[in-house]
Amino acid sequence: MNLKKTLLITVILSLVSITVWELYWRSQGYFPDIDDDKYLWAKTRAKVEKATENDVVLVGSSRVLFNIQLHKWEALTGIKPIQLANAGSTPLPTFHDIVENTNFNGTIIVGVTPPLFFSTTFEQAPPWTRASSRSEFYKNRTYAQRLNFVLSIPIQNSLAFISNDDEAWYDDINLKALLNTIKLPNRTDKPKEPPFRRFQDIDKYRNVRMKERMVTDTSFANSIMAVWKSMLTSEPKPPPPDKEGTIAFFLKNLEKFETRGGKVILLRSPSDGFFDELESMITPRPEFWDELVAKANTPAIHYQDYDKLKNFKTIEWSHLSATDADMFTRNLVEILLEENLITNLKTN
Amino acid sequence: MLFNSLSFFVFLVVVLVLYYTKIFNWTGKKRMLLLASYVFYGFWNPPLVILLWISTLVDWTAGNKLAVEQNLRKRKLWLLLSLAVNLGFLAFFKYRDFLLDNFTAVADTYGYGYQTQPLDILLPMGISFYTFQTMSYTIDMYNQKTERAKTFLDFALYVTFFPQLVAGPIVRAKELISQFYEEKKATAKQFIWGLFLLTLGLFQKVVLADTLLADTSDAVFGAKEALNFWDAWAGTLAFSGQIFFDFAGYSTCAIGIAMMLGIILPHNFLYPYGAIGFSDFWKRWHISLSTWLRDYLYIPLGGNRFGVTRMYAALMITMLLGGLWHGAAWTFVVWGALHGIYLVIEKLLKHKVPVKITFWNGIFFAFLTFTCINFTWVFFRANEFSTAKNMIESMLFLNPDGLLILEYFDLLKVFVLTSLLFFTHWYMRRHTVRMVAENLPVWLFATGWAMMVFLLLIAQGSGEQFIYFQF
Repeated sequence: MNLKKTLLITVILSLVSITVWELYWRSQGYFPDIDDDKYLWAKTRAKVEKATENDVVLVGSSRVLFNIQLHKWEALTGIKPIQLANAGSTPLPTFHDIVENTNFNGTIIVGVTPPLFFSTTFEQAPPWTRASSRSEFYKNRTYAQRLNFVLSIPIQNSLAFISNDDEAWYDDINLKALLNTIKLPNRTDKPKEPPFRRFQDIDKYRNVRMKERMVTDTSFANSIMAVWKSMLTSEPKPPPPDKEGTIAFFLKNLEKFETRGGKVILLRSPSDGFFDELESMITPRPEFWDELVAKANTPAIHYQDYDKLKNFKTIEWSHLSATDADMFTRNLVEILLEENLITNLKTN
Repeated sequence: MLFNSLSFFVFLVVVLVLYYTKIFNWTGKKRMLLLASYVFYGFWNPPLVILLWISTLVDWTAGNKLAVEQNLRKRKLWLLLSLAVNLGFLAFFKYRDFLLDNFTAVADTYGYGYQTQPLDILLPMGISFYTFQTMSYTIDMYNQKTERAKTFLDFALYVTFFPQLVAGPIVRAKELISQFYEEKKATAKQFIWGLFLLTLGLFQKVVLADTLLADTSDAVFGAKEALNFWDAWAGTLAFSGQIFFDFAGYSTCAIGIAMMLGIILPHNFLYPYGAIGFSDFWKRWHISLSTWLRDYLYIPLGGNRFGVTRMYAALMITMLLGGLWHGAAWTFVVWGALHGIYLVIEKLLKHKVPVKITFWNGIFFAFLTFTCINFTWVFFRANEFSTAKNMIESMLFLNPDGLLILEYFDLLKVFVLTSLLFFTHWYMRRHTVRMVAENLPVWLFATGWAMMVFLLLIAQGSGEQFIYFQF
């Protein structure tokens, strides 16, 4: 056995195969990007520890992620918000984490997507764990995990085939995801879920932008709408909202945060079509949003109440295109500045 | 640090560079390895390095005293000190809540409304491994079966040597400390073979265990209701494969990394699913633990020196405690008990029904052993007895209307992989990887190795912890 020769051939074959693999996926439209995972979230969460009273922290669900553009916000105010929203989750555990575990006394914008915000305070429910697990990870992450993240960034920025979001997307290209695309006849009576493809990109600041393809390729956008519909209509259906529990939980944290000088702004982002109908049906504005705002007695912005915000059209009933998100952010910032709700470090 | 992480990759490169450059003499290299081992452990949780230091200091002191002390009573006291400290750590960090829960349950049975508050203490990674390793030194010193370590540095490195610190193999002092006395340097062949073993171990962990089997096992054992026969078997087989690839993968990495440093660690797995009978299984599965339990528990309990009844009792106690070593839960005790019962039955049958093993009955007995082992894994994996009961019933066709939760692809994947695993282990009973590699043409061996590298890279993995870290 000639081990030196074996090693040489192994190295050559490995390099060739991985290069071919990388080039193939690039030819399919993939490009190097950052993963939206717990490591990136934790790195962003760490910024809150040093944030000042001029800083803005964003919590909420995917609408806050897609619709608020951090770089645009920074260009307008001189402050880059700290993006801690989590897709498909209630903001309550993240808000609680900031209130309980930091001394932050700046501004927190709490995105209210009614079916998620008012969903639950049950700590094992998915909308809760999707957010709380990240706070837990932040608290418990080891030095090795921190180092792993730092070392992974240059690799993520260089190789297209590295894709390891916490969300398991249908079009991920890691081995497990590729195996999951193999189709055999159904054995169980589980309804076939439509493929959920990644429809956004994220950068190292957790600034999320909807993929341009969502605007140009109707069938791609339709596939995401099919996912929303399947999620919300297939069995088991989500339990009814827990309005009293969620509002009480929020108010308790709000009181503590305001006592130490923090400010909270509630934000309701646009929705259309299926989502609008569903939200109006299960979480009607007067009984949910209006009651929350009245009890919280804190600044609140509902897109329907502002001319600058109400004419935006979402692409797939829930999120804005990248271009519209820029405009939405600009208009939102203008409103917040007009109402003296945030600081503008730009003197000119 | 996990072997399947970027930080470990960088760590290993730095250690190897420092080890093979000429800036240190051998003592300097050992100091570097010791420091690196503390960094390796501390990157997980720095304060818990203190436990390692305490174990090291206590056992070094006890070992030194045992080397010179002639008074039997004082020798016993030094041994007891070592056992008390190491087992005390285990009791406090690993078994405290389990013991309190059971104490409360017993107290409540007799009408005392005793309440306890679980501490939820963080379990120090690999505590069961390094405490057993360091205890073996003082026990061997007490029994005068090993020499005193020449220097504190050699002993500290023996306790802390990073490749096998958190999940074994549990190495005896005479196997490892003596290797530290003279300068070690891997030959080019050893280094490359070590690198191959590291790749093989990572492939087992990341691709086979985490990517191909873990999800099926998690889905089946996470089900709240009774499952269909095929689903229950697929879940159990998936776990059977997962735990082997996970744990054997770790040991293979450890042996490979040590070999890259010129240090030889013993085998910990020898194709256990090809075992014919349960004694054979325990000679092939987690060998360093089974020999530890044999030498420091089964034999002191009497072994086979005091008649058959005492031997069976010693065997059962050893297996029950072996089960408890794996985790502070009654399900692990049942796992150990089942293995104990299997061993007792096998010994009884061996005396009464002598069988000559041929190729065909051999493969039949190996399959029978593998099947019985799978029933034990149900208790090992299930978090609750209700889950285990449902699973066993389903595996025995007692839940004909059980739920179908796996798709055809999952079944296919698990049955194909575990069949390959079984037949590979059967074939490899009398072979080693090295023997197989030596008989392959260079291009074929290199292609297989490169495929493992490629699959490892595209699997990417999510840095999942090795299962045995929790033990």
